[in-house]
Amino acid sequence: MTLYDALIAPFMEFEFMRRALIGVFALALGAGPLGVFLMLRRMSLTGDAMSHAILPGAAIGFLFAGLNLYAMSLGGLIAGLLVAVGAGVVARATELKEDASMAAFYLISLALGVLIVSLRGSNVDLLHVLFGTVLGIDDATLLLIAGITTITLVTLAIIWRPLVMDCVDPVFLGSVSRAGGPSHIIFLALVVLNLVGGFHALGTLLAVGLMMLPAATSRFFVRDLSALVALSTCIAFCSGMAGLLLSYHMGTPSGPSIVLVAGVAYGLAVIFGPAGGVLSRLLPRRHLEA
Amino acid sequence: MFSRRFMLAATLAAFVAPGLARPAFADDGKMPVVATFSILGDFVKQVGGDRVDVTTIVGPDADSHVYQPTPADAKKLTTAKIIFVNGLGFEGWADRLAKASGTKAEIVVATKGITPRKADDDEHEHDHDAKGHEHDHDHGKKGHKHDDHDDHKHAGHDHGDQDPHAWQSVGNAKIYVSNIRDALIAADPAGKDSYTANAAAYTAKLDALDAEVKQAISKIPQERRRIITSHDAFGYFADAYGVAFISPDGVSTESEASAKDVARIIRQIKAEKIPAIFIENVSDPRLMERIAKETGAKVGGALYSDALSDDKGPASTYIEMIRFNANALSNALSQ
Amino acid sequence: MTARLSFQDLTLGYERHPAVHHLDGEVLQGDLLAICGPNGAGKSTLLKGICGTLRPLGGSINLHGLSTREIAYLPQSVEVDRSFPIHVYDLVSMGLWRRAGLFGGIGREDRVRIETAIATVGLEGFENRPIGTLSGGQMQRALFARLFLQDAQLILLDEPFSALDTRTTADLVALVQQWHRQGRTILAVLHDFDMVRSAFPKTLLMARSVVAWGETAQVLCEENLRKTRLNSEAWRDDAPFCAA
Repeated sequence: MTLYDALIAPFMEFEFMRRALIGVFALALGAGPLGVFLMLRRMSLTGDAMSHAILPGAAIGFLFAGLNLYAMSLGGLIAGLLVAVGAGVVARATELKEDASMAAFYLISLALGVLIVSLRGSNVDLLHVLFGTVLGIDDATLLLIAGITTITLVTLAIIWRPLVMDCVDPVFLGSVSRAGGPSHIIFLALVVLNLVGGFHALGTLLAVGLMMLPAATSRFFVRDLSALVALSTCIAFCSGMAGLLLSYHMGTPSGPSIVLVAGVAYGLAVIFGPAGGVLSRLLPRRHLEA
Repeated sequence: MFSRRFMLAATLAAFVAPGLARPAFADDGKMPVVATFSILGDFVKQVGGDRVDVTTIVGPDADSHVYQPTPADAKKLTTAKIIFVNGLGFEGWADRLAKASGTKAEIVVATKGITPRKADDDEHEHDHDAKGHEHDHDHGKKGHKHDDHDDHKHAGHDHGDQDPHAWQSVGNAKIYVSNIRDALIAADPAGKDSYTANAAAYTAKLDALDAEVKQAISKIPQERRRIITSHDAFGYFADAYGVAFISPDGVSTESEASAKDVARIIRQIKAEKIPAIFIENVSDPRLMERIAKETGAKVGGALYSDALSDDKGPASTYIEMIRFNANALSNALSQ
Repeated sequence: MTARLSFQDLTLGYERHPAVHHLDGEVLQGDLLAICGPNGAGKSTLLKGICGTLRPLGGSINLHGLSTREIAYLPQSVEVDRSFPIHVYDLVSMGLWRRAGLFGGIGREDRVRIETAIATVGLEGFENRPIGTLSGGQMQRALFARLFLQDAQLILLDEPFSALDTRTTADLVALVQQWHRQGRTILAVLHDFDMVRSAFPKTLLMARSVVAWGETAQVLCEENLRKTRLNSEAWRDDAPFCAA
């Protein structure tokens, strides 16, 4: 098999591969920076919590409107935002820490979702429906993902400064501006939005993977914020492409393949990463002159 | 997700239910019988008429393969005089449910006397290697996600080599009818005349339906009688009426699709110039729509395979269902 | 001299336990005031109250027309996340927030300002160092550069010289005195009485409530220091509600 056959031909021959690639690319653009910030804020598990919070919302949307892109997105968005904003407000307005209030809110959302789904008594396997398929991205889904990515990047550009300041020195930001709280909540809203977009392509749980794994991986290579964002986006995109090709050539399910490729990249980075990887710590390195 | 709990609850109900069991005949004098799914239920209704009270376990638009019995189902069984099952491994949960409920009802296999098709007939030669593939997917995926469905599905129709969807041929439907008639007469000899008359009348309707379908299909050019559908349920229909149903493996209701599978299907549709692609009433349509767009094949809407629609739907009885499917096929395949 | 900052019967605290109790008094424009007292005396709490991050339990703070956003506040450096991957330059440029806000571009003039600030605290050449690689002294210099950029009339410093070597301390004290000469009002929480005596004309000695407030030489006498120790570290759950 030539390199062309292996890497390019699948995308040339099949539109669904091109669509999947564009979908993953759009997701990566939004997920890259968000993942980096989640990691730097020590909120890596928040993405996972949010994905659980979205699940019942999307499920409720499905129960009321069937397999409708907008109903499911809206349901997920509302559930996710309620949890994100609720947890954020409680954390900022009371003495309870963010992680505890987040856990409280998403567990309530999850339980409520399961309850509502059970009451409706549908036999349709909701989990199956909620595992999106990146191979079946239609125009509406593609537009939704692209729109979400655009909103994400523009909004991030707007809240970039307060967001960074809120991470580095929240007390200082609080002393010069009130933007800290709102920018944090807007940031969480963006995370929700991207998970909602991701769930049509990958399912919510795997969408978190595309967000967090590249961020954690890039930490082993660079130490600068902008570089982290760029590298993480790049790794997310490459994982998407490699995962699709793996699924194409090896016949593995596409969603898990994409996330597993990102996982392999993470594993390699843990071992070989020059910035704090296992080997770089074990091997004696020449040091500079004082 | 919940089935383990339901199974436990069902077992519990099994201890309680025998004490609650009502007399074999309900108050209104009708004989209570149970059919496992909606199509079979329709047959029993047609033959039994006013003399029987038919309850179905898996209702309209629901998927029998992955059905999870509830305690209420166990209770239905305990009061029934006869339990009609499809057999051929279609509803693997039924035997266990019947045992668990402690019912004294006779279990009647409605497909008795039908020559079963092999699930992998030579008409599906394209799919041979892929079939093994699908099983792999199922195991790997369900290991973590569909733990509880495992039992049902594998005790169900995936496992055996026989294709259980025998009702898809109208000729077989007549055998169902005669089996049901015999079983009803055996249980309720007083109604013999009524059952015999009902069965005869219904069989006549089925003959007319059979002719109607054959005529509709015959209008389709031979080389266009090929469709892709997401679920391998139309083997008997294919044998009876000469339409090839090609199922894209790896895109079934249970396993997540790989890019390789989708690519192969698209190539296949293009290479064999398959004119139409059908989506079932119980599976995820997004992927099929994508494949249709990419190949230029027509999307033929839904075909009803394992379940009837509800009363308001286009396929609330067996005859309507077959007629609906035949119309859908001829609309999509004729130029 | 006009008042820059007035406290009227100010009580600040956490969970109704007062850390600053019934504080009255005035800080004049141009004052260089050291705030002294044992741990738990409410010094940091007072600064948080002034810059608005902590709401008073009672009484009020009058800033005489100054917005809390126009106060430059240097918290204890432990509150900065040093693992966050940004450079000294970025950290310092945060001082321009009031000028630049969300969108304002950082122009050539601003860049000169940032570079001047970095040079003033003696960090030339460190602009592109990640803040995680700085020593404690260098970090404090960077934070002073940020203060410098803030160009504020009222500056609050919370233990600005703790854990610094003599040279760094001397450099930064010189910077504070330069701000003082420019007529800015500066409040600094300090523990080193020698430094307070040498560099800070006025002192507020507190142990939840004011022990003494005035010229440094008079405030820091033996009698006052003994009083602060007695009154400082009690936290009684059964304390009655304050009637005053």
